[in-house]
Amino acid sequence: MLRLWRIAIRDLVRNKRRSGLTLIAIALGLALVIALHALEIGAMEGSIDNNIRVQSGHVQMRADSYEEDKVSLKWEDLLEDSQLLVSQAMSLPQVQGAAPVLWASGILSTVEDATGVRVYGIDPQAETSATFREDLEGDFLKPDDRGGVLISKRLANNLELAIGNKISLLINTSGEQPDETTFTIRGLYDTGLPAFDELTVFLPLAKAQTFTQVGDRASAVVVLLHEQDDADVVAAALNTPGLTVKTWRDLNQLMLQTMESSMGILYFFYLIILAIVAVVVSNTLLMSVFERTREMGILAALGLKGRQIMTMFMLESAILGALGVLIGVILGSLGTYYLATVGIHIGDMASEVSADMSYGETMYASFQWSATAILSVVCWVITMLASLYPAWFATRKEPIDALRAF
Amino acid sequence: MDVIKMENVTRFYQVGQIETPALRGVDLAIEDGEFSAVVGPSGSGKTTLLQLMGCLDKPTGGKVFIKGEDVTQLNANQRADLRKETIGFIFQFFALIPGLTAYENVEMPLLLSGAKREDRRERVQELLEAVGLSDRAHHRPDQMSGGEQQRVAIARALSTRPAVVLADEPTANLDGDTGRQVMEIMERLNKETGTTFFFATHDPRVLPFVHRTIVLRDGQVAENSKHPDQDN
Repeated sequence: MLRLWRIAIRDLVRNKRRSGLTLIAIALGLALVIALHALEIGAMEGSIDNNIRVQSGHVQMRADSYEEDKVSLKWEDLLEDSQLLVSQAMSLPQVQGAAPVLWASGILSTVEDATGVRVYGIDPQAETSATFREDLEGDFLKPDDRGGVLISKRLANNLELAIGNKISLLINTSGEQPDETTFTIRGLYDTGLPAFDELTVFLPLAKAQTFTQVGDRASAVVVLLHEQDDADVVAAALNTPGLTVKTWRDLNQLMLQTMESSMGILYFFYLIILAIVAVVVSNTLLMSVFERTREMGILAALGLKGRQIMTMFMLESAILGALGVLIGVILGSLGTYYLATVGIHIGDMASEVSADMSYGETMYASFQWSATAILSVVCWVITMLASLYPAWFATRKEPIDALRAF
Repeated sequence: MDVIKMENVTRFYQVGQIETPALRGVDLAIEDGEFSAVVGPSGSGKTTLLQLMGCLDKPTGGKVFIKGEDVTQLNANQRADLRKETIGFIFQFFALIPGLTAYENVEMPLLLSGAKREDRRERVQELLEAVGLSDRAHHRPDQMSGGEQQRVAIARALSTRPAVVLADEPTANLDGDTGRQVMEIMERLNKETGTTFFFATHDPRVLPFVHRTIVLRDGQVAENSKHPDQDN
């Protein structure tokens, strides 16, 4: 075996161009797959993070009968004692912040235009609202503000509104009666999530509660954690009869499922890319077998056996594959680093991709050692499989035919 | 003792629908230490004869013995082992592995037979010296003349101390002086090491060197004569 190693290495070294081209094919293929995978994982993780940040929180407490899709304002569907729940949550060491929120649907109208919106009642001082203060233009809401509203820069842009302008909000109150009030735009927020921004307007929780006539009830208590992984522990600790406690995993189930299925499609793409690599490797090796027919004849005359010739070719591709994988991992990691720091700006496409997915305007990659390791092994194995046929083909030649081929 | 013995050996080639005979009942024995040649016009079956002796091919009929062992019964792997241990080859077209240096080419059979690094180095240097190429050890085939390449091939054929060296037209691609020089080297090595050399050739320059000439015509031995002026 050692002797065949030496012969294989010698062959690779003396056919520098052929070895180099094969190396490039393997390395580029793997690098592409690693970077693509990192980008996709990054986009998905980012999407979930975004959703946790602006919408779901890590843990949510709701009334048992509350249904997410209906945005119900019936008293029985709402939390009665949200402040108590908040202090319960805040007493846990894993909790970073907790606050009641109220959700209602409504119609925002200006003199010229109208659009359906989701009214989001928040506690302006709560930790959970901090994210909306980022990139704010103008003033943030104050808890006792009775006439102020926060809309997104994007919506302001769409409806040609500015800070200080008045808008009118029409909602269905808890009693199923429509009510309309005029608000002044205090500030413009920007979460970087087009799909969220286009739909959401903020009111101080107290004003939202009186406006919708729910008393001091809330749709949910949103809890943010220091560590995402503590969600299950915290959810279990907060579980009380009459309450539904959900983790970010439950709340983003649709998103997680969509991601899983899109990963399936991506794996298929990876296979296609690696199959192309396999064809290149197979082709190069086959060319090399043809080119070296006479050489194989000489080696056979010198006593090299068929299976040794096969082993020799397999060793060559094992070495090429390993080197290619190494270079591919380096290139792929560099590419991932670029995509993780600079990212790809997709802008408005983010909201067009899917309204359910909280894609930001820039996609960032996220490097994963485990995925890179798996992809590398798969790439190497595919290289080996691709060399089977050429290696086998090389053994098919009788030494005498091989010598005659000259 | 006979290094190689052939008994009523036939070899037919199937070309399309037609069976073409290359050898038709050849009986031949090559003794240990011999320096002899088979001659004959193109197509007389010389190369086929050599390939059968070298276990590169199997006869259609008859038996081939190498050092007393019937090689017609061996499978491909066993024949490969036998080639590795017992037979050295020299080809008309030099047949060095391109890209490898003279040193590496000579070393190759030793690598294949698993010789130790030190032993390999010693043997390769000894052989390159014997063929007068010590200073060309690190040149690749494309940096050497035809004569030099053939000398490397001789060194390689001898590297594993085979019982017999089979050489197919070893001088055909060499000019007069170089061809003679190559023959002189082989003759000297035959005397010094006792290695059997057997040539297939139609080059008259070879004949003055050999102890015995076998003439092959139409796949049969037409003449088998010892040279009275040679001492074997």
